[in-house]
Amino acid sequence: MGSRRSRLELVFDILQAIQNKGGAIKPTHLMYKSNLSHKLLSSYLDELILKEMIEIIEKEGKRRKVTKVVALTEKGSTFLAEFRRIKDFTEAFGL
Amino acid sequence: MYRLFYTPTWFNGWDLIFEAISLLIVLLIAGYSWKIYRLSADNKFKYFSLAFILLAIGFTFKLITTGVLYYSALQKIADSVLQPIIQNKVTYADLFYRSGFFLQMVSMLGGWLLIFFVSQKSRARLTRFYEVSQIVLFLYLIVLISIVSNFQYFVFYLTCMVILGMVVLNYFKNYLNTDRNWNAFLVMDSFLLILISQLFFVFVFLWEELYILGEVFLLIGFLLLLFTYRRITKAA
Repeated sequence: MGSRRSRLELVFDILQAIQNKGGAIKPTHLMYKSNLSHKLLSSYLDELILKEMIEIIEKEGKRRKVTKVVALTEKGSTFLAEFRRIKDFTEAFGL
Repeated sequence: MYRLFYTPTWFNGWDLIFEAISLLIVLLIAGYSWKIYRLSADNKFKYFSLAFILLAIGFTFKLITTGVLYYSALQKIADSVLQPIIQNKVTYADLFYRSGFFLQMVSMLGGWLLIFFVSQKSRARLTRFYEVSQIVLFLYLIVLISIVSNFQYFVFYLTCMVILGMVVLNYFKNYLNTDRNWNAFLVMDSFLLILISQLFFVFVFLWEELYILGEVFLLIGFLLLLFTYRRITKAA
């Protein structure tokens, strides 16, 4: 079993899962891709919405059915790009 | 003219340059930490940024106070500003220098202490109540030490040494916990060099030239921090 992911790594995994799906993903798919429980994922999603890194939008799917998807914001994209540097900074300074 | 301690005259001005460089470095790190806080909204980055801002404030006060001490032109300016306010009731020079050194010491001690708290892993910290009472106690000690240090300068540098010793220990633990990460090693060494500089400052009363060694080690410590910061931010 791998070591526990840090909070920063969890946020990165969630955002990257969204980015890998073209910037928007269904919550259920996100749960499987990020390998998190429903409860834990929900708490993280609430936090990321508050921090304006993601947003919930309505998307028209097959048969014109409207579904809610989790979409990456510009702030979330910036975080992803910066993540490697943030991770190195955090490790170096013990934060 | 009031001074904390006497330093080699030929070195006057060079220490200001060294500390101006250190000031820029701490502002750079404070700025980047604040940027991460804006992205992640994680409070530890905010406190880390605040710690380096406090160090920057400390350096700024030192630059102002020492600059006025060294250069007679600046003394005249300070004289013309302060004399109408204080008049002849107190020795304004004493008040100016003591205030300047006090503010420098409070800021620097606050900065080092905050770095110590932030570099501790949360599981090693106490419960919230005890943490708050611990912080209040340390704040009191910082103010007290800063007042006393105006009369016995070595108390300030000794206290910095103790706090920095604990910071170095925390970063040594961090170096081991990150599987001997090279950046973590460099950060630990930076604070170790800064710790050594404080040791030299403590013993300036024995030999004035130790002040130069202290300033050099302090600068090298901050330059190493800058090098580490550039390594991190340059990496893809």
